[in-house]
Amino acid sequence: MPKTLTSVLLLACAVFLAACNSSNMKFSIVSGSENTVLEPIVQEFCAKQGATCTISYQGSLDIGLGLQKPDGLGQDAVWPASSVWVDLFDSGRKVRNLTSIAQMPVILGVRKSKAAELGWVGRQVFMKDILAAVKDGKLKFLMTSATQSNSGASAYLAMLSSALGGKQVIEPGDLDNPAVHDTVSALLQGVERSSGSSGWLADLYVDSARQGTLYDAMWNYEATLKEANDKLKQMGDEPLYAIYPADGVAVGDSPLGFIDHGHGPDVEKFFTDLLAYLQSEAVRKRIADTGRRLPLGGSAIQAAAEPDWNFDPGKLVTSIRMPEPAVIRKALDLYQQALRKPSLTALCFDFSGSMENEGEKQLQAAAQFLFTPEKASEVLAQWTPADRIFVLPFDGTVRTVFEASGDPAGQSQLLGDVAEQHAGGGTDMYACAEQALQKITATAELAKYLPAIVIMTDGRTDGSADRFLEQWRQAPVRVPVFGITFGDADKSQLDSLAKATSARVFNGGGDLAGAFRAARGYN
Amino acid sequence: MAISRRAFGLGLLGAAAAGTGGYLTLKDRPEFRGYLGNRAHLFGFIGGEKQAFLADPDVVHALGGYGLELDARVAGSVEMVREPALLTQKPQFLWPSSSIMVDLARKSGVAIRNDQVVLNSPIVVYTWGPVVEGLKKSGLVTVAAKGDYNQLDLKALLDAILAGKNWSDLGIAELYGRTRIVSTDPNRSNSGFMFAGLVLSLMSGDVATQELLAQHGDQAKAIFRSMGLKSSSSGKLFDQYIAGGLGAEPMAVGYENQLVEWALADPARWQRVQAGAGAKPEILYPRPTVYSAHPLITIDPTVDRLLQALTSPKLQELAWSKHGFRGPLGTVAAGSDTIAGVRPAEIEAVLPMPSADVMLALLSQLDG
Repeated sequence: MPKTLTSVLLLACAVFLAACNSSNMKFSIVSGSENTVLEPIVQEFCAKQGATCTISYQGSLDIGLGLQKPDGLGQDAVWPASSVWVDLFDSGRKVRNLTSIAQMPVILGVRKSKAAELGWVGRQVFMKDILAAVKDGKLKFLMTSATQSNSGASAYLAMLSSALGGKQVIEPGDLDNPAVHDTVSALLQGVERSSGSSGWLADLYVDSARQGTLYDAMWNYEATLKEANDKLKQMGDEPLYAIYPADGVAVGDSPLGFIDHGHGPDVEKFFTDLLAYLQSEAVRKRIADTGRRLPLGGSAIQAAAEPDWNFDPGKLVTSIRMPEPAVIRKALDLYQQALRKPSLTALCFDFSGSMENEGEKQLQAAAQFLFTPEKASEVLAQWTPADRIFVLPFDGTVRTVFEASGDPAGQSQLLGDVAEQHAGGGTDMYACAEQALQKITATAELAKYLPAIVIMTDGRTDGSADRFLEQWRQAPVRVPVFGITFGDADKSQLDSLAKATSARVFNGGGDLAGAFRAARGYN
Repeated sequence: MAISRRAFGLGLLGAAAAGTGGYLTLKDRPEFRGYLGNRAHLFGFIGGEKQAFLADPDVVHALGGYGLELDARVAGSVEMVREPALLTQKPQFLWPSSSIMVDLARKSGVAIRNDQVVLNSPIVVYTWGPVVEGLKKSGLVTVAAKGDYNQLDLKALLDAILAGKNWSDLGIAELYGRTRIVSTDPNRSNSGFMFAGLVLSLMSGDVATQELLAQHGDQAKAIFRSMGLKSSSSGKLFDQYIAGGLGAEPMAVGYENQLVEWALADPARWQRVQAGAGAKPEILYPRPTVYSAHPLITIDPTVDRLLQALTSPKLQELAWSKHGFRGPLGTVAAGSDTIAGVRPAEIEAVLPMPSADVMLALLSQLDG
């Protein structure tokens, strides 16, 4: 009898708790990384409402690709950097009430002494001036991948527009024009480091400056450059001088939109309330303080201009007209397949004993994905014939080195080579990293490529990083070492290697295509 | 404090008489019929630009007076007259944003009982102060002789766009690059659809026909190709215009009432914009322009009462003073005020739209 009573009480409690939980609003947003700085403003609203908000960050194109999938995105709201990606990919019209929060031009920040050296301080700079500086070997820059991140895509489309000599808009036939290809691929030769995320790229610039490595320049949002400059100034480093290319820039409209999952009117009301909060005068002021533009806000609601680095959110920028969706799609394919700077990638495959069974299976699946053009191109991560690929299967030592270009024959050869490898033996990923670095630095015309080492492993390794890092520091180029984890992974050693070389570690055991797409975004 | 029984009795009698008289009077006044309890629920489709008008509590209340409650669902003007999935829901009325839609509805076999234009809004070009100043210098914008509003020589602007002229050639030094204008996608949204008809007629030199389409369709197509990515709805494009400002959206096509509604939705915001130092939103009336008429297509006899209500002085006044819609003839009631800089003067030069057949042929050309 008491037992029954306890059960009843427990059941009542459970029902009560469930009721409690259901009255607690949970709201999720997937956003571009540039909005990290606005998260506290959003969380303040959520806290006031007694709601639990989770904000995850992805590249704007990844948000678009997510919308394109039949089951769409799981979040309640999207906040990409530009509504273009919703227009382009949301064919099922899942996103509603898409509303611009702020305007964010994508511009070029150039280290101030470099800008002075180029004669760019205090005068109008056109894309052709940037091209000339790149061609003369006087300028290199950081830029996110045009097929992953809105800021990279924006810079790339502005380059294409400029190469067309100021037409109103890029039309389909323009992308077949060889002169346009030459101009844009010459501009993209200026890329020194790439990434899938604008926020990460800005952090890379600042962290590198802190460690004494100075990059020349970076394409990024005007507001993100302000964030970076605030940090650089605190560190006593010189700021990035804002170059607003006079022949037009792309402007992200940073829109917030609702995805209805049928969770009831409360969820939609929460969204419209959040939108009204973000559009209220007081909050608009705080958003403007981050360097974002709110054109009808006037000077009262605008961050103060900072003439020392040419920042002026009140300055009129002419924006390029976005082309038709089919043209944008074609332009992105063109970037990935032909115009981007070719990559030089050394892939270390861990075939040691600890990878047996599950790990080995995941590794073979990874090779299938990487070296099957149809699969990789679905997520715009395909190789091009101009790319160079080394594959190094390793255990306690490097077993052998396979080498191919990124054309379909080369890829299929590499796929066959990897298929013959089986797990066994000890592990030393540092030995593989060393040899990968040697292969990369021995490559002719190294400056033409974006180099990277990618280690695919469960992370359990012998050996030590010291000797490798010693060689790494002496290498003529900075080669980031990325990790993709498999099997029952221990990330700690990979993490410190990635950190020391300004790279990242991705989880390949979960979303394999996503991990590779992410890693490929960085070269 | 005490009331005498006699006074009380007289009072009751008086109230009863007033009640009876009131009842008799109310019965003859359709706008009060609703207060007597006989309400009709009407279901139909409307263009999205009228959503705010029909959701306005004053409008709901006034329609309630006529004994009407609307279940009005938003649909694109083209799809509501053509899409079987919508028509099989047996709407009692359709309220699209263009008179051509009446022809298209007839072609789709809709049993039209009656159709009458209830509201009007001219197609306008939204732009910014510095553009107006520049275009005045280059003579593309003039002030209308009657009514003191800015009119745009749209044909000259379209020619400049086709010739690849820069903004600076038209007197606008603030903007870099080629002159451009953007509308919504004519295959999806009515304002772009109407603008396409206007562009074709201007290029043709007359209201376009099939023959003129064959001669001038390519020019219209070139104008629309130069726009690049086009928005799917008039509301979205207007929002982009407001959010983007002069640099991002120098010229955008829309309905006259959109700026009025935006200004009225937040008067304090409108005052701030007017007082601010930045470029201010401006309306240009193309000369000639086309009217986006809003014909109420009645299918069910009960909708006659809706037609009566919507054309009544009370609702016509609300349509202008709160939402910026003009009346059936493109005019507003005498003595109406200027709102948000929009003057209720009659627009001087108005072209009719090309016929439905020509428009359908133009649409398929623009799509290709």
